[in-house]
Amino acid sequence: MPNIQYANMSHWKSIPYKQIDNFRDFYYEDKTNSAYYSDWDNILKYQSALGFNGIEIAPWDMADILPLFGSPENFTAFAKDRGVEVIGMFHGAHASHDASHFDEAVQSGREAVDTIVRFGGTYMNTCPTQNWFGCGPLSREEVQNCAKVMNEIGRYATDKGVKIGLHNEFFCAINLPEHRELIESTDPRYVHYCIDTAQISIMGEDLLTFYNDYHDRISTFHLKDTASSRQPDSLRYSQDPEITDDGTRWFWEPGMGTLDLKGLYRLLKQHGFKGWMSIEYDGSPDLLASMAMTRYYLDNELRPIYD
Amino acid sequence: MNAKEIAISLDLINRHYQEPNRNRFESKYFWEELYPLIATAGFVSIEIPYEPVWQFGGRSGVPMNRYCINTKYGSAAAYREMLEGKGITRVTGVTFDPNLFMRNDNIHFYFGASGHFAGEALSHAADLGADYFAISPSPYYGRIRQYHPDIDAQIEMFTDRTVELLSGLAAKAEELGVKLVLRNEYWSLFGGERVLALLARLPESVALDLDSASLTVAGIDPVQFLTANFARIGCVHLTDTSFVDSGEVWKTPNPEHPQPRATQVFRDPGTGSVDFAALAATLDQLGYSGPVVCSARQTRDPFRALLRTRALLNQLQN
Repeated sequence: MPNIQYANMSHWKSIPYKQIDNFRDFYYEDKTNSAYYSDWDNILKYQSALGFNGIEIAPWDMADILPLFGSPENFTAFAKDRGVEVIGMFHGAHASHDASHFDEAVQSGREAVDTIVRFGGTYMNTCPTQNWFGCGPLSREEVQNCAKVMNEIGRYATDKGVKIGLHNEFFCAINLPEHRELIESTDPRYVHYCIDTAQISIMGEDLLTFYNDYHDRISTFHLKDTASSRQPDSLRYSQDPEITDDGTRWFWEPGMGTLDLKGLYRLLKQHGFKGWMSIEYDGSPDLLASMAMTRYYLDNELRPIYD
Repeated sequence: MNAKEIAISLDLINRHYQEPNRNRFESKYFWEELYPLIATAGFVSIEIPYEPVWQFGGRSGVPMNRYCINTKYGSAAAYREMLEGKGITRVTGVTFDPNLFMRNDNIHFYFGASGHFAGEALSHAADLGADYFAISPSPYYGRIRQYHPDIDAQIEMFTDRTVELLSGLAAKAEELGVKLVLRNEYWSLFGGERVLALLARLPESVALDLDSASLTVAGIDPVQFLTANFARIGCVHLTDTSFVDSGEVWKTPNPEHPQPRATQVFRDPGTGSVDFAALAATLDQLGYSGPVVCSARQTRDPFRALLRTRALLNQLQN
């Protein structure tokens, strides 16, 4: 068993079919490639064929997955038949910095944990609150409010066998000035950290220094590259910066940006990291090509350093 | 029917199902490149499908609601000015469907959220100078039944609350000078001929939207429907299909993607089996002068759909 297992974060758009049994007929209707990314059967098979044996689902997938499969358990069984397990789900702890939303934020987090348990997952990577624009800068008290919500959700999650990992976006209200303060304000028994390698680099953390400093808190990774480290406050704090007006991409496949991912893998080896890594392809116009490109880079550049 | 005055719906860019990843559809540049292409294909007016979902999560590059327009352009007026500069002279109409809000067993949430966002969408339609606001009177019947298994026993309650919601919108629409029309989707609780009973409970100012593909899937001849209900037709959608709903797909939670046999229900205009020549001739005979809109809502290739639609209209014109 390798030390690292690889999953994909589900960035497919809405998948309308469970399985297309009449694949040839569906293709012939308009002879485009739509048939190739319209059912979970094939998407899970692509993952399995390329050695990504886990999938991290997203809450926005639920509106389509549940009607298609009837229940989380049915989706999990379907994925397992194709060699893929659900490792967890992303969660956004909306307004957790606002004390008046404490009960609502905790309840929402608990419900997300319950959903993950039904999928058989063990990770809940959690954005600590909403975007900076509209509510930043946070006061010290508001950062502590976030920490209280995370501790409360984390305690519940731990009881259910789920690890919550703080997951910081570069445009989140928890931003560079509050990032480490939040981590250190949470209880390490209950609250872990998911390093999104690109997001924290764009925010201004040095990836290798951050991992070295917090390696004992790291539960998992969102592995992706960027060519845009250390963006200025004016950009990170602006309105809706994740999707750029001109199509500039923040995120690239591992090896296609400028992050020192080989240095990260040397540190993973040094600290003996064991667990799942989710690859993220947000921004890619061709997820299947990105998946194959990533597999080649992993096998030829990163796994020889630490597997 | 003057083919030059027919609008195209922006639903031909389907952010939900069309591509493996929708990021490019979420950027402002994509849309601003699209408008001149629409004009080049001979369309100077567009319809906007109002989608609240792009308000959540910072996806303001998708110009499908008031939040996004105000974020990127400052106001509806500035957006219209930008469109004008790219060859699009009008926003003919705005559509709204409440499927996003049928997501749990709380019926009050559904009506509350649908009413709030439909009101926003209607105001936005007025700001855009639209002729009509076309609303789907119910979410997917099968989606309602998924979260409310007793819906068949609760139809009277659901209908009463729908009438209340639509009556409020009708009054607001009259104030704003926008025509409120009811969409007539095959998957609706009020689909097919059932929409007529709902319409009868609403003010005279409310009209019907004729959707040729949806009527066809529901087993109704669009020409006959048009002839029988001409006085209340306020909008016409030219949509195409070859789908025959022999297995009551309309009752399923995802009725635009039939299980177990996958098929594209809404074909690009001109590639399905709807008799557009007969429909256009009847519109002309009856002297219809309201809005006509083409839609390729499930196209697998939007740019091909744009030209296919123009090719169809050219044929009808000749």
